Amino acid sequence: MKKGIALLLALALCLGALAGCSQPQSQASDPVTGPSQGADSPDTPKDPVTVTVWHDGDEGIMQTIADQVNAQLADDQITVVFEKKTDMPNQLKLYGSDAANAPDLYFYAHDVLGTFVAMDILAPLSDVIDTSVLADHLSMTVEAGQIGGTQYLLPVYFETLVLLYNKALWEGDIPGTTEELYDYMVAHTDAAAGTYAVVNQHTGAYNVSPFIYGFGGYIIDEDGKPGLNDPKTIEAAEYNRKFGALQADGDYNTVTTLFNEGKAAAIIGGPWLVSGIEAAGIDYGVASLSDIKLPNGNGLAPFSGIQGVGVLKTALADKKDAVAKVLTAMASPEVGVDLANKSGCAPANNKSYDDPQVASNEMIAVIQKTASTARPMPNIPEMNAMWGPAEAMLTAINKNGADPAQAAADAQAAAEQAVADMQ
Amino acid sequence: MRNKRKNAARLALLNAAFILLCLVTLVPVLYALSISFSGQGTALSGSLSFLPKDPTLENYRAILFDKPFLRWLKNSLILSAGTIALAMLCAVPMAYAASRWRFAGRRGMLRLLLVLNAFPQVLSMFALFRVLRLTNTLNTHGGLVVIYAGSMCVFAIWNMKGYFDTIPKEIEEASKIDGAGDLQMIVRIVLPLARPAIIVTCVMVLITVWNEYLFATTFLLDSQSYSLAGGLYQLQSNDYSRNWSVFTAASMLASLPLLLIFFKIQKYMVSGLTAGGVKE
Amino acid sequence: MKQKLRWKPWLYCVPALLLILIVIAFPIVYTGWISLTNMNLYHWADYQVIGLDNYVRALFKFDSGFLSALATTLVWTVFNMVIQIGAGFFIALGLNAPGLKLSRVYKTLLMVPWAVPAYISILLWRVGMFNTEFGILNKFLSVLGFDKVDFLASNAIAFISCMALNLWMALPFMISTIDGALQSVDTSLYESATLDGTGFWVRTWSITVPAVRPIIAPAAVMTTFITFKQFDIIYLLTQQRGYMTGATLNTVITYAHQNAFASNNYGLSSAVSMLLFVVIILFSILTNRSLRED
Repeated sequence: MKKGIALLLALALCLGALAGCSQPQSQASDPVTGPSQGADSPDTPKDPVTVTVWHDGDEGIMQTIADQVNAQLADDQITVVFEKKTDMPNQLKLYGSDAANAPDLYFYAHDVLGTFVAMDILAPLSDVIDTSVLADHLSMTVEAGQIGGTQYLLPVYFETLVLLYNKALWEGDIPGTTEELYDYMVAHTDAAAGTYAVVNQHTGAYNVSPFIYGFGGYIIDEDGKPGLNDPKTIEAAEYNRKFGALQADGDYNTVTTLFNEGKAAAIIGGPWLVSGIEAAGIDYGVASLSDIKLPNGNGLAPFSGIQGVGVLKTALADKKDAVAKVLTAMASPEVGVDLANKSGCAPANNKSYDDPQVASNEMIAVIQKTASTARPMPNIPEMNAMWGPAEAMLTAINKNGADPAQAAADAQAAAEQAVADMQ
Repeated sequence: MRNKRKNAARLALLNAAFILLCLVTLVPVLYALSISFSGQGTALSGSLSFLPKDPTLENYRAILFDKPFLRWLKNSLILSAGTIALAMLCAVPMAYAASRWRFAGRRGMLRLLLVLNAFPQVLSMFALFRVLRLTNTLNTHGGLVVIYAGSMCVFAIWNMKGYFDTIPKEIEEASKIDGAGDLQMIVRIVLPLARPAIIVTCVMVLITVWNEYLFATTFLLDSQSYSLAGGLYQLQSNDYSRNWSVFTAASMLASLPLLLIFFKIQKYMVSGLTAGGVKE
Repeated sequence: MKQKLRWKPWLYCVPALLLILIVIAFPIVYTGWISLTNMNLYHWADYQVIGLDNYVRALFKFDSGFLSALATTLVWTVFNMVIQIGAGFFIALGLNAPGLKLSRVYKTLLMVPWAVPAYISILLWRVGMFNTEFGILNKFLSVLGFDKVDFLASNAIAFISCMALNLWMALPFMISTIDGALQSVDTSLYESATLDGTGFWVRTWSITVPAVRPIIAPAAVMTTFITFKQFDIIYLLTQQRGYMTGATLNTVITYAHQNAFASNNYGLSSAVSMLLFVVIILFSILTNRSLRED
């Protein structure tokens, strides 16, 4: 008998330990509140609402958006809070339909849109706002936010690859052709000493897209058919190889650091690098990839990414009005102006370009110019399965000396398998 | 005489070998240490040198005060303590029962546990998400504690059972005559005798919790409630080109608590880790 | 009394079994259940049972690619374990050499890698040691006048690099275990052997090794499992998305991850997981022969 009681006690202890552990959590998980939360004045009867946005981007950029939106909505007692989530798309796959923990909005590039729509966790924008707020937006950005003709993503800014160069290191003008660029690289690269002319993530599909699309190849078409073994894609990958040989290991952190430390004179990248470059105190210039012609006469044609917000279905139940106000504020030209001036992002709203400071911003002018040849990334769900095989193909060609046709055939098979596996 | 000299030479050689071995082992740590005291900009490049350029404490200041490092440290301690408590409360009685009593199904169960434990936990992520969601413990330390404790439970049972096997039954019999109940006896006699095994098991649990970042960043949503490993993972996941020196400072700080604990319990480590294998 | 004994042991097991049921057993059962459904992107919430179709498809994943991954995993496990136990044994033997005054200092220093969280170790090695531009190894090579080496580029060298890191992370545990075992060996055996004039190697082989073997067996078996299931090192060092280094090294787990999890088809990947589980059980039956209970 006594033993039984003792055992029960042991069990109770176990449970107690459990309960005890969850105790401190309730404190820790208090929502991080924005600044306006504290500014509660007694004469505003409305309850303060916090709208949560998950992202996996640059925190400085998100802060710029949050500051502008919160300033606009201060009177409505609405606060947006951006929370950074590593590997956000996968997190959203788990939490997307969990009303208790899902965010209200997410902020990400448009290439994951198809996946989320297929999972049925997003609400069409028309459920929340009148999509006429997008009337002034660049049509390329609006279309990138549509799946099957329905608008799911509210575009905020767009980005594409450009050539960033260190003015103190680069000699002469930026070449007008890829062949001249290559000659410059050969003459100015000393891998043994660790100094480079141009660095690029030469095994990443996004960063090699300027070659692939410039050659007329493609990664995946609108119908979900992979194009890694398209002769033009293979040609582009093969052409990219000689550049890759002069661009260090092509890892994001390696190439970024090389540029920031003045060991590479130029880097192919985008506005997301700017804050790091400025922190490193580098006087940099920006050149459009469209101005650099391939042997076939086409300009380099990079992918473009449209960054914007989507609405989780779970947010509609009790935050619909607040979400509508947040979306309207994010669509406003002011957000674009701030983003352009503070972070060098090209606004999706055409009206933002009326601002004189935006109009004279070098980075934005170059991104806008590149938009003429840039291709928005495909936003179908199959796109997600393509990054891995495409990268494997470029890695095999650039680093292991694989035969391009063979590497392309292997990658194509892997991609087709991955796409088939989705069903 | 000759033998003595030979011995001295042998010892000198051994010392040299160990000094070399320690140096080689410590290269990555010394590297991180040197970077962590370096000023901005010299972080990744620089020549082959283990002395920091323009030494500074700025990186340590940045990680301690600009990031919720102390908060993460506290969370790691809470998670560790909770996991150790729960895992031990569950595992000790079972290890004791499996060691002391021969009951039907005992062997089969112990083997089954080993088999179940072979399932790679990375693959359980989705199912565990369901469990936590069902019990409404997503985004709580409690939910994570249960998962950590459960994943270390089989190891803890096996490790302690092995040690209990080595404790002579006679000692217990003697105390039983005093009229002590089973549980009382476990607490008063068995646990103190098995202290090395208990401590070592606790340390292994501690290391697991301290290292784990995948579940921590998946099942906890608020960056304020992350554990150290989770927080540092989140901090550095893709882009470490900008704050590599801060990260190295953080990794040194994150390793320090375990290092201190190792020093403290080194003598128990020795007997506890291994006695589990001593079979009569 | 007899009656009581029948349920009492089980009562002691209840808390642990409950915990294991929730955290270990349920996920396996749940994975088994999902493997019978068509849960994927297009049937995220409205999935239904489709029978064994996923297994038919999953079997195709266990092709030549899987076999080569399995071979890699076995080679990886054997190499790591042999070196770990061999090196661990001799280092521990050295630490216990009579007259070595600084042995505690050495031992403490050798334990340091153990304290560094695994994820941090991997990143430190990736950037600080192996990187072609900033890594210490390459700086060292260039000081000596050699060309740069990409330590993660091709399979052979990446395998060695991954193994070096794994040894760095795992050796402290092994050294500590064997060191403890050595100290629990009855020293009187040595004394008589020394009197007999037996040499060091003979003594080690015929007395120390047999004495230590049963003591370190459980730790060795446990480490073998951990090594077999190792995912982080190979994945984070060579094949994380956007950081592929050129090596196409795969263990069974990274292979399954690459082939089944990229497509967000949970039904299919669950079937692959279950088949993988069977493979691991087979492996564990082979290993378990060395771990005899009672």
